[in-house]
Amino acid sequence: MSAGAREPHKVDQSEPLLEVRGLAKEYAEHGPFARSRRVVVAFDEVNFSIRRGTTLALVGESGAGKSTLARCLAFLEPPTRGEIWFEGVNLLALSKQEHIPVCRKIQLIHQDPASALNPGMTAAEIIAEPLAIQRLGTKDEQRARAIELMRRVGLSADSAGKRPLEFSGGQRQRLAIARALALEPSVLILDEACSGLDLQTQELILDLLAGLRAALGMSFIYVSHDLRAVSDFADEVAVMYQGRIVEHRASADLFEDPKDPYTRELLGAMPSMESICAGRLIGASR
Amino acid sequence: MKYLGGRLLHAILLLLAISLLSFALLQLAPGDFFDSMRVNPRISQQTIDGLRAAHGIGQPFPIRYARWLASVARGHLGVSLAYNSAVAPLLRVRARNTLLLTSVSTLFAWLLAIPIGVFSATRRGRNIDRAVGVATSALLTIPDLLLFLGLLLLAVRTGWFPSGGMVSPGADNAGFWKMAGDVARHLILPAFGLAIVTLPVLVRHVRSAMIQVFESPFFRAARGHGISGPRLFFRYALRAASNPLISLLGFSIGTMLSASLLVEVVLSWPGLGPLLVEAILSRDVYVVVGAVMLSSVFLLTGNLVADLLLFASDPRIRVERAE
Amino acid sequence: MNRNYKLRASIVLLGAFHVFILLAGFLAPYGYATQDRDMAFAPPTRVHFVDAHGSFHARPFVYGVKNNVSDSSYEEDPPNAYPLRLLVSGAPYKIAGLFSARLHLVGVSAPARLFLLGTDAYGRDQFSRFLYGGQLSLLAGMIAAALSVGIGGIVGSLAGFYGGWIDNALMRGSDLFFALPWLYLLFAVRSALPLHVPEWQVFLLLVSVIGLIGWSRPARLIRGIVLSARERNFVRAARGFGASDAYLLRRHILPQTYGVAFTQLALLIPQYILAEVTLSFLGLGIGEPVPSWGSLLATLQHYDVLSSYWWMFLPAVLLVPLFFAYHTAADALQERYESVSL
Repeated sequence: MSAGAREPHKVDQSEPLLEVRGLAKEYAEHGPFARSRRVVVAFDEVNFSIRRGTTLALVGESGAGKSTLARCLAFLEPPTRGEIWFEGVNLLALSKQEHIPVCRKIQLIHQDPASALNPGMTAAEIIAEPLAIQRLGTKDEQRARAIELMRRVGLSADSAGKRPLEFSGGQRQRLAIARALALEPSVLILDEACSGLDLQTQELILDLLAGLRAALGMSFIYVSHDLRAVSDFADEVAVMYQGRIVEHRASADLFEDPKDPYTRELLGAMPSMESICAGRLIGASR
Repeated sequence: MKYLGGRLLHAILLLLAISLLSFALLQLAPGDFFDSMRVNPRISQQTIDGLRAAHGIGQPFPIRYARWLASVARGHLGVSLAYNSAVAPLLRVRARNTLLLTSVSTLFAWLLAIPIGVFSATRRGRNIDRAVGVATSALLTIPDLLLFLGLLLLAVRTGWFPSGGMVSPGADNAGFWKMAGDVARHLILPAFGLAIVTLPVLVRHVRSAMIQVFESPFFRAARGHGISGPRLFFRYALRAASNPLISLLGFSIGTMLSASLLVEVVLSWPGLGPLLVEAILSRDVYVVVGAVMLSSVFLLTGNLVADLLLFASDPRIRVERAE
Repeated sequence: MNRNYKLRASIVLLGAFHVFILLAGFLAPYGYATQDRDMAFAPPTRVHFVDAHGSFHARPFVYGVKNNVSDSSYEEDPPNAYPLRLLVSGAPYKIAGLFSARLHLVGVSAPARLFLLGTDAYGRDQFSRFLYGGQLSLLAGMIAAALSVGIGGIVGSLAGFYGGWIDNALMRGSDLFFALPWLYLLFAVRSALPLHVPEWQVFLLLVSVIGLIGWSRPARLIRGIVLSARERNFVRAARGFGASDAYLLRRHILPQTYGVAFTQLALLIPQYILAEVTLSFLGLGIGEPVPSWGSLLATLQHYDVLSSYWWMFLPAVLLVPLFFAYHTAADALQERYESVSL
């Protein structure tokens, strides 16, 4: 068990790396004849900040707006209101051109690796794609870096020529992580990255991520619906309920003394047998 | 009702756009109707120029188009240069003949398609079904033109059918029933031809619609309740299949119109088809535009009627709309 | 397995047919305009292996033909036997419009004639005209289909990828083309061109006309694919890496459309061949003396042809296997790529 490696390490107490202020996202739904318009609020009044090297867990049930928030943070969707500050720059105020070098720094890993990888491309091509898009290095350099990243995430270099469908679920997720690392991001957003995998594989992936965090000093935003699964992994936990953050505290504090009634509900909900079997009883680590 | 209004407006706008398009295309065409007159040395260039001016041929496009629109409003649809009369009455007669032909063949085709399709569906997978499948494929593959020419050959070689036209010469004043019979005899071959070329697609769709109904839970439940025979068929199966079939009716109008053009030319049935071809060859501008527009009117009307039928017959659509 | 077999068999058949047509000059005994007024409406020449005395000849031969002017019939005239010769030098022709040659596969020495499918009113060999006509009709169909799918692909991709008002405008535009029965639309567009189009260059104009009428369905289908491909996660991911629209289209989205594009091609080619044939049949296609399958069929409307000259129908019969092969291929492709029909 590598629980020790996953414990949050001493954090850098300097300026916040990423700061979100008053972020909100609304959808307007059109009826069949565009006559009726319903406004759906995905999330509203989201404020938080992350320091370098810390891990923030974003938990809540399905429909709480976590995934939408994650996509907005990764700039895959534009938020309706608010600001996102990164290393002192308001990212939403940048033009498209200025944005391109910055978007390297924040990357997203999807829940379903199979859909996030083009089934027609080989592993090496997939990992090297961000480099190719940003035109970094020659073709050979890109390929070399792809192989290096594969090794780093625990995939053998022999499978560089294979296509995504030839890998297992866990391996595909590793591929996706390798690809996200290609641009050397400072922040990695994991949108339910382990939810589609079996427990064994989840453990392995979390180990990998912890190792990467230790080696590269990256910050993570880990979105999940499973509160207990993030208990070791995250430094801070923010609980979302119906589009708002209802509680945001250091991980240890939250588990010991949950203040918000919803948080308590989440904690009290069906305990995951698997996490008990994996030896992560809440009480045991205290 | 709002829905109907919206569709009508959409259709009118579409027709206007089409009229503009056809008119513009014809303007692009080099040469005009009176070119053929130049060959005749007895007609002076002055006469030709005079005729041209009288019909407004040299004028710029917007003026000609506006004049044509005015003519449409008055119900004339412009002037046929070849027949030297208003276009509208010309189209009326031809359109009547085309409608006669297409309605009779549509009836033929559906009267054949439904039994064959249903029969095929009930005997699904068995040899008779496969045979029907092969026959429909074969019919689909053979180009319409060849089929029509084959029918013409049949008529000429066997003499069983008249080889063209709508009425026999000299049959004019022979009394209503005799005339009707005469027309009917001339109608058989073209209507049959048209029905044959549209039949395969219909059979396929009827068959698959029926199969879907047979496999649906509601149908099985009805059978389980002991409902059987004609009641089962008419009130349950046919009703359920009516939605896709009515849509099919709407869609098949376009192909039917195109095919009717061909069959009319090959078998000399005096409908819109031969008129259009003749008008193009002689550059009778307003006739061409009028005929093209009319075909579009038929198509759009057919689609609209099909949509209305769907609306009336399928309660699900009404509920959807109300939301 | 069955589907693959269908696809392969039909493609082989199509390939063979097209190669024959491509080699029209080589395979045709005569040029397409070569007239032989003495031999108007001659029935197909019979090729014999066994002569009047009953002896077998390995090399097939034909008899000279006498023309009975009294009743316009033709009779074979043994014992004037003329053997078939292979690889003869004959009328000049061009391969693919570029290379000149004079070599023909078979021929007979004068005054015998080799009319495999008989002759028409001007004494022109129907078989040669069938082959040359095929070049025109097939080429027209293929180029027009490529045009339709090309335009449809571009329009559909733009509409599907950008959505919004571009989508609306383009799809409204394509609505226009749906509102007319295709043959009427074809005629309307055809009427914009000069009536008599004797030159091959104007052939291209004709082809574009045909191709222009049918772009709306491929456009709709491709638009659908692009719309759903655009939402795929790997496309979003690439966007997250800073990919431009052009890159996304080129690398991720357009490759998804190739299957449907191919199927549409297979569907449209026979339709467009038929469109050219129909135009020529009605006298709206390429003018004399260049043959097209349509003009060959046009003679079938004449009474005397129908009643007496049965061989004029042979070209029509020969067309059926071609269309059958195309339909089979299109069916198989549709099954494979499961394109949704409108």
